[in-house]
Amino acid sequence: MRFPRITRTIRRITMLLAAAALLLGVPAAAAAHASSATTGTGWIRLAHLSPNTPAVDVYLYSFGNSNAQIVLHHVAYGTVSPYEAVSAGDYSVAMRAAGASASSQPVLSTSVTIDADHAYTVAGMGPESGLRLQVMDDDLTTPPGKALVRVIQASLKQQTVKVTCGGKTIVPKASFASVSSYQAIPAGTWTMAAIGSGGTATRSVTLAAGTVHTLVVLDGSNGLEMISLEDAAGAGKPPLGGAATGFGGTAAHGPGSPLPWAALIGVGALLALTGGLRLRRRGLGRQLRAEV
Amino acid sequence: MAFRRPAAIIFAAGLVVISAGTAGLLLTRHATPAMRPVAVGLEALPAPTGPIVAPPQSAAPRPVAAPVSLTIPLIGVSTKLITLGLASDGSLQVPPITDTAVAGWYTGSPRPGAIGSAIIVGHVDTVHGPAVFDRLSELRKGDEVYVRRADGTLVKFLVTMVQTYLKDQFPTQTVYGPTPDAELRLITCGGAFDRATGHYVSNIVVYATEAS
Repeated sequence: MRFPRITRTIRRITMLLAAAALLLGVPAAAAAHASSATTGTGWIRLAHLSPNTPAVDVYLYSFGNSNAQIVLHHVAYGTVSPYEAVSAGDYSVAMRAAGASASSQPVLSTSVTIDADHAYTVAGMGPESGLRLQVMDDDLTTPPGKALVRVIQASLKQQTVKVTCGGKTIVPKASFASVSSYQAIPAGTWTMAAIGSGGTATRSVTLAAGTVHTLVVLDGSNGLEMISLEDAAGAGKPPLGGAATGFGGTAAHGPGSPLPWAALIGVGALLALTGGLRLRRRGLGRQLRAEV
Repeated sequence: MAFRRPAAIIFAAGLVVISAGTAGLLLTRHATPAMRPVAVGLEALPAPTGPIVAPPQSAAPRPVAAPVSLTIPLIGVSTKLITLGLASDGSLQVPPITDTAVAGWYTGSPRPGAIGSAIIVGHVDTVHGPAVFDRLSELRKGDEVYVRRADGTLVKFLVTMVQTYLKDQFPTQTVYGPTPDAELRLITCGGAFDRATGHYVSNIVVYATEAS
């Protein structure tokens, strides 16, 4: 009379074990958390590098917005603004004569697309008669242990100059209104020279590893002039990877191993089975005895 | 009846053990939450006082003094800054385990307030509890960070973003690479803790830019 109940119990145990096995099979929640997208900021700076062009007002517009985001007043030849951080996107740069109404027709304008994490220089270049706005994509990466240097030649009086660093030529022939490519220079303090047919400008420049520089050759009031801009700086010797900055004292404790519990269930199942089988055997024996 | 009892007891005991095992299994499937100080009632620190030095003009880079202390009012951080270099494996040196209440500035990075990305590192916790950058991940865009320099000048930064990176996918160029303005990178650990290696699997990086 007891078999059906025991069988039922055994069946229940089997189901319970199956359920436990299912539970064990449930994969742990993935802890990995990918970083979110970058917010998308770039940089732009504005410059006036046209020797015979009078001072200008420079406007930066976010594309499609008639209200200027940045206005620089009375920017004279040889001026380079600091970088401004702006949201990535399309912009236009306009130049007006200094003091001209913001609603007047610009003398010159150009569009520039600013990508996230990129830096740009937009400069008025060339002679006044051929003034143009040039967009430069400025480098923000440096080879390990070195600095990057480029030259903007904005001297009209010396149409072509040679630029040397510590006596070594880094730009052999920079012509007026040109921008050289970047040169990797070992870190250190160097004597930079811009050598034209009618004059020379020299300057001592300290180049730290991991920095990016622009040398601008200008017509000074007294012959050639050279300014040195530190465009960007980072770790000269970038560390490898991230940082080991925690010991886990405040960390969440993940779920413990399910194995001991599974083992316990297994032991329970064995006990129940043994007990159940014994009961069944006893029941059988009594039945037999009763029949005899 | 008397004969059957031991078997019945074994059977019942088996059922009890199964129940206990199942209960244990179910109850331990949930992770215990991370230990975090309760933010409610914690007083934000006052911002440090003193003249705030304007960002340098790129045309005339002004040398700035070395950083000596860091204040993050919102999360109650006020610590001196020690100097850090690189560990022998080329990774960023971190403050010693005996001094987890301080943060450090990586001397191979630009000084805070100079052009470039200045790197400051602090522990999130010790083996027992919170450390200096325990609440760094609570920072949000626009929160203020102050660095005092050796010459007494103060430089103010505003948080621009907070990112979590898996350490094996750490974007070294983005974090350590050159920037054209004065920025700060505050680095600590976060994400899941791997008890097998004794390390967190992620880093939290707070990006901040000098307030103009």
